[in-house]
Amino acid sequence: MKKLLIASALLASATTALAESTPIVGNVQTRCLITTDTNGVFGNPLPSKLSTASGDGGVVPVVRYDVTLADAYLAKVTTPTAFSLSPSLSDSVTWTGSTQVSKTSDAAMSGYEAAKITYGSTTQFDLTKAGSTWFSSTATAVYGVSKSFPGGSYTAIVLAECIAK
Amino acid sequence: MIMLVVALLAIYATNAHSEYLYGLTGNMAGTGHTWGMNIGPSGSQSLKINGVFYQYTPVKNTEDDMVVHVRNKRFGTNEYIFSSTDDWSGLPGGIPITKGFVIDNLPIELWGDGSIDVEGSGSVVDANVVYSYKYNNDCLTPMSDPSCSGYTDAVLAMMGNTKIEAYDPLSDENIADLIDEKAELDEEVQQEDEEKVKAKDKLQRMLSGVNDSILYANVTSQNLLMFAMSRSNNLNPYYDKRLAGGEYKETVALNDGKLPDNKKGARVGLAQQLLHTEMVNAQYNQED
Repeated sequence: MKKLLIASALLASATTALAESTPIVGNVQTRCLITTDTNGVFGNPLPSKLSTASGDGGVVPVVRYDVTLADAYLAKVTTPTAFSLSPSLSDSVTWTGSTQVSKTSDAAMSGYEAAKITYGSTTQFDLTKAGSTWFSSTATAVYGVSKSFPGGSYTAIVLAECIAK
Repeated sequence: MIMLVVALLAIYATNAHSEYLYGLTGNMAGTGHTWGMNIGPSGSQSLKINGVFYQYTPVKNTEDDMVVHVRNKRFGTNEYIFSSTDDWSGLPGGIPITKGFVIDNLPIELWGDGSIDVEGSGSVVDANVVYSYKYNNDCLTPMSDPSCSGYTDAVLAMMGNTKIEAYDPLSDENIADLIDEKAELDEEVQQEDEEKVKAKDKLQRMLSGVNDSILYANVTSQNLLMFAMSRSNNLNPYYDKRLAGGEYKETVALNDGKLPDNKKGARVGLAQQLLHTEMVNAQYNQED
């Protein structure tokens, strides 16, 4: 009697379950981590100029790339071409900027600087070694033709990206 | 009074729990490329190095070979307890390198002098070497722990000029005599105990023999009793047997009433007799 009941129960479940979806899940651990090492600060050496250069009273922003897989990523650092936050501006702003390797965790990374590629405001580095690399970016904004910036708070963004090769 | 002070200090010391404090050195390579390892607060106990961080900028031509070692000797030896090497050969200089290492809490006593050594063409500028360490500050006050150096001096200083002589109880004659007496007494007690054990063992063996005899006698008497009881049971069935019908009648009959001589048997018997006679006579007719 017991066997009959089990058999009929199995039969019922077999007839009701016609299909089943089985999910496949997985996690990919990041092997390229970007961290802001130093927040940048604009100095204001002239009424028409904002600059991150230390000589201009600014602080150069530094981002750190931690790569655990060698020769797998490109580091792209783009200096700002506009303010993300500023008072209303009635004239154009001329931007200049550059990005350099400021520090490495491996002697072999010292070649990154010489091998970098610059296009527009973006600088690209080939991260051929595993380890940490610090990139510093300078940014300078000049308002109009020797025109004073309006008073207020100014914020610009340096974009750091890690692109898989 | 002295004992009380020492006991109180001991109790205080056992109740004081150790708690590690952490710190960082300054730039050990700030004044040169070699440095000693006199780090941490004075009086700190169990100072252990748990990290090394360094940074420097190599100055060199790209085509030159240059190897930089940042290292510490193992104290008292020519081996290195920490060593990190950067090979700049064929690489451009000018870009600072920074490295950090986690050290497995190696005691400061193992760490000898540190250095930045350059092999090949080039130099190192803006060197910065920092050690992180941990320690406990139990011995910042020497009396906090009897294991701290200066503990005894601190206790004596606290007690003033009281003259204290170390007392060795084993050198006291009275105590030595007591110890000897106790040893003799212990020996006597031990001998008495051994004799008691022997007597007890002997008594047990005797009792064990008596018990065996009684047991054997009991077994024997029981066997005899069982034999006597079973004998009547075994013999009585034979006394009670009866012949079926009361008699056995003759069943063999001689048909003609005559029983003839067995001539064949007589011949065999005669032949046997003759052979016997011949054999007997042969004993007397032997020729020497």
